[in-house]
Amino acid sequence: MVRQSSLWKSIVFCLTILLFSITALSTPTHAAPEAKQRVFDDAGLLTKEEVTELEALSAKYSEKRETDFIILTSKDADGKDIEDFMGDTYDEKEFGYDKPKGNAVMLTMDMSERDVMVTGFGEGERLLDDNRADLVREKITPALSRGDYFDAFSQYIKSSYKYMGYREGVDPDNIFFSTLFQLAISVGLGVVVVGKMLYNSGGKVTVSGRTYSDANKSRVVQRRDVYVRTSVTKRRKPKNNSSGGSRGGGGGVTRGGSSYSGSRGKF
Amino acid sequence: MLLQYKCPNCGSDMAFDSESGMLSCESCGRQDNIEEFSDDYIQSTFTEEEAKEYHCKNCGAVIITEADTTATTCSFCGAGVVLGDRLSGALAPAKVIPFTISKDEAKAAFVKWCNKGRLTPRGFMTANRIKGITGLYVPFWLYDLNSRADVQAVGTRVRTYTRGDYIYTETKYYDVYRDIDLHYVKVPVDASEKMNDELMDKLEPYDYGKLKEFKTPYLAGYIAEKYNYDDKELFPRVKSRVKKYVDTYISSTVTGYSSVRYTNKQIDTKQKKAQYVLLPVWMVYYDYDKQEHTFAMNGLTGKVVGRPPISYGKVAGWVGGIAGSTFIAMRIIQLIMGGGLW
Repeated sequence: MVRQSSLWKSIVFCLTILLFSITALSTPTHAAPEAKQRVFDDAGLLTKEEVTELEALSAKYSEKRETDFIILTSKDADGKDIEDFMGDTYDEKEFGYDKPKGNAVMLTMDMSERDVMVTGFGEGERLLDDNRADLVREKITPALSRGDYFDAFSQYIKSSYKYMGYREGVDPDNIFFSTLFQLAISVGLGVVVVGKMLYNSGGKVTVSGRTYSDANKSRVVQRRDVYVRTSVTKRRKPKNNSSGGSRGGGGGVTRGGSSYSGSRGKF
Repeated sequence: MLLQYKCPNCGSDMAFDSESGMLSCESCGRQDNIEEFSDDYIQSTFTEEEAKEYHCKNCGAVIITEADTTATTCSFCGAGVVLGDRLSGALAPAKVIPFTISKDEAKAAFVKWCNKGRLTPRGFMTANRIKGITGLYVPFWLYDLNSRADVQAVGTRVRTYTRGDYIYTETKYYDVYRDIDLHYVKVPVDASEKMNDELMDKLEPYDYGKLKEFKTPYLAGYIAEKYNYDDKELFPRVKSRVKKYVDTYISSTVTGYSSVRYTNKQIDTKQKKAQYVLLPVWMVYYDYDKQEHTFAMNGLTGKVVGRPPISYGKVAGWVGGIAGSTFIAMRIIQLIMGGGLW
């Protein structure tokens, strides 16, 4: 009886975890619709339906992180450099979830220069630092290059949201944080441990050579360790220049005096 | 030649008592030290030629035995009998370890073991279907061996360091030689055809301090077998077994290297001595789900071996439980590391 209950306990335990993860991963539907505009598709990359959908998505995640996820596309960035354009727009429209010029994460696109920039203000600056902005930008760049703007934008919102959930200074792409990796390790461990239990269920050998060896007589009669030769190989130190090129920018301060983190590049 | 042990007091049949280690009489409670038990009370019945049939002295019934059996009980009156001619000459065991675990203790130990089975079905764990439990003296050869190993190997020590723009890997090669003299004493190998070798190997170790000079009364009341293979025939088995021990020993002497490649390894194992002994094993026959499962228990230590039935539900439960708790633990670590929950 005791055994059975422990079995049930573990099953219930697992189901709870499963349920927990499903509810946590699924999207709550009670996000109150806001009048706030977060998608500014001046370049006309999206259909009306897509804009509505992205607005909804952004509204939902913005609420969770208390940070507005802004999408700003333009044909030519008003002739300015994308960074200035981004900063000026922020100052002018006074983005921010908590207050004007408050917490915001922005994705800015300049179609003429094919520039893209991900920036964070306020909490966004703190939790989506240059590194993480880089990660988000690199993640969406392939989709942008393909022209799958809707996909890229949704991914931008979701990834930024996700990365902002990690404490500052923690590498969000650490493999340990991957749910798939964690599941694989958990199941692997379970299988290995139970496999060992199964293997040993019939009793295991508990004797070794030491059990029967006559320690008084057993010995190494002769031992020799003679140095023969040395061989040396050399290889060039690998340089740390991953991807390179398009990376750059980092953070700065807008003309209106708001500091931000960021990452810019081409697509 | 049939041996029966008559109580000097009352004339009843005596049997070996595992608790006291004496020959004891169930009727009057008399106990006799086996080393001093007088031959006068051992009733022996001689038969003319190689007997195939033995008659119980008590009731006259034919004692039905298999060709390898050396001790059994009369199936009619229950008297313990020993078939002396199957234990003499070349078949005479040198030593014996008497049972220290009685039948009841063996049963209790088995039930306890079943209860510990974390993957066995619930119905099995109650252990209420023990069909039979038999005390069996299993014939073993105890080998004293000398292994001489002559080993040549190439060992490497690898060091890496950085100088300028380059990473250097320096490998030093060593010529390794070992001459090893190893002695093993009383390595057991079961000599009965019937016994599963793997099962018997798992039953070890036996406490050799309990080895006694062989006397037939130790077998009274138990089943005993004679060996089917002599020490020469079983030598290859013990040799391959000892080879593993020698290999382990060799690698334990070749240390401090990043890698070791053996170029020449000669292990010469010689038999110094082989003793024919009888070791105590309780055989437990258990019916579960229309199948008979056989377990063996070390008659000295109570160690149980044998494949129990497996409950797939429990296996799944354990895998799920371990996986689930690991997953939760990793999530918690993630939280502590600052990764957020989801």
